[in-house]
Amino acid sequence: MTMNNANLSIEQIDALQEIVNIAMGQAGDSLARVLDSFVRLSVPRIRLINAPQISQYIAEIVGDAEQITAMRQSFYNNFCGEALTLFSSEGCRDLAPLMGYQQPLDAETEKELLFDISNILVGACLNGIAEQLGADLNFSAPSIMAANVASSQLFSPDTLPWAYALQVEVNFSLEDHKFKSHLIIMLAEDAIIALGDSLNSFIEAI
Amino acid sequence: MNDLSPASTSLLDFLIDRINIGIFAVNRNMECTLWNCFMESHSGVAAASVLGKNLFQCFDELPHNILYHKINSVFILKNFAFTSWEQRPYLFKFRHHRPVTGPVEHMYQDCTFIPLKDEAGEVQQVCVTLVDVTDTAVYQKMMKEAMASLAEASNRDGLTGIYNRRFIEEILNKECQRVQRYGGTLSLAFIDLDHFKKINDTHGHLAGDNVLRASSTLLSESLRQSDFLGRYGGEEFVAILPATHIEGAHILAERLCRHMAGITVQYNDIDIPVTASIGIAEWQPTMVRYENLIKAADHALYQAKAEGRNCVRRGT
Repeated sequence: MTMNNANLSIEQIDALQEIVNIAMGQAGDSLARVLDSFVRLSVPRIRLINAPQISQYIAEIVGDAEQITAMRQSFYNNFCGEALTLFSSEGCRDLAPLMGYQQPLDAETEKELLFDISNILVGACLNGIAEQLGADLNFSAPSIMAANVASSQLFSPDTLPWAYALQVEVNFSLEDHKFKSHLIIMLAEDAIIALGDSLNSFIEAI
Repeated sequence: MNDLSPASTSLLDFLIDRINIGIFAVNRNMECTLWNCFMESHSGVAAASVLGKNLFQCFDELPHNILYHKINSVFILKNFAFTSWEQRPYLFKFRHHRPVTGPVEHMYQDCTFIPLKDEAGEVQQVCVTLVDVTDTAVYQKMMKEAMASLAEASNRDGLTGIYNRRFIEEILNKECQRVQRYGGTLSLAFIDLDHFKKINDTHGHLAGDNVLRASSTLLSESLRQSDFLGRYGGEEFVAILPATHIEGAHILAERLCRHMAGITVQYNDIDIPVTASIGIAEWQPTMVRYENLIKAADHALYQAKAEGRNCVRRGT
């Protein structure tokens, strides 16, 4: 994959992988405290992706889930990007009691629950990364990107305002619950350069 | 934010207090540590009465469990948290700023929960900003209503107010698919006014319009709640009769025919007599597509016309 000017060096990628691993470990711990149950996380995967292939990447991540619901949330300050949380159609409802929601959920409350869940996943993971990089991120409110769509319909590659992006992906599940979700943090082009600068300072400081 | 001069500190304090956004903060015991002017004036509770007190004890209207989990997650995860008016219209039941023009009962609110960290990076307090988004909510509501009435209008025939051809075909398509999949019966009636061209030619188009309006009113009054009536084109109406076999459709069509022949439409002191010819057909699984049911009913209508009008014929 040739990613010319915004490509990260092997050294930078290694540092980022290390930072993300630590951040996700911490995130798992804190989420377990918030949700009061054991959180399982996959090893985070970092890669540079091309816009035209975005749907393939998403399909690869969600596997055989027929329909997915996606939330998105912006972060900004030292570097900016968007975090996506992908849920398969069911399996969020059983988190309701852990988040202080009473069953049964009406449609709007279920949406609010999805926002809450994606917000804590995004916040926990990104804050861990930012903290190690000496960055302090701001977050906008989450919004729905798509509800119950095929994974191929999530993005329309032709209208994306970037050609390549950095993608950090991690999967969550909870012990004794059906809940499963995929967190995808994406930084596009210029933001990769800003992240690279932060990584350089991090590497120099070691 | 570390090197503020006394002057700018007081400017910040002033701004936080007087900005047109609710700002308050709580510590780990959920005790209020900040309560700005906006919160004071909308809640009617002075800062002196809430500072140092447990937020939930001061306001029992708050959604305790959800809010507690939200604030707690900010302490633990050091993340931001949010509430949006679209899912949760308000946290505090404040009155809105539209006492005169507002069609709403309370202030719609978007809230952001921000972690306030100490020097060690630990979250000691959570600051909440509360933005009045009543205007946005009102406009969105108006827009939704406008969209709904546009959608409704696009399904209606302008002259008679009954369903138009596009929409009635859409319904027919769905009904046909339903019986094809789940079984049951479905019939269709094509109703055509007799000698309508003559009415137009003799009495003018306005008289013709009156006849169309009176006919659609009479037909919709004569049909059952579960039937669908539409104007198919010109002087041709179509009635979808769900859960109706051909015998039932025949009885109903005979009744429509009698009712139509029983009225005269008044126009400029002239009584215009009306009759209609009706073709009916029942859905058969072999038809597969709804167009074939239309074809069968249309063919029966052609027969009714050929065999003297003001009568009902069945098609297959």
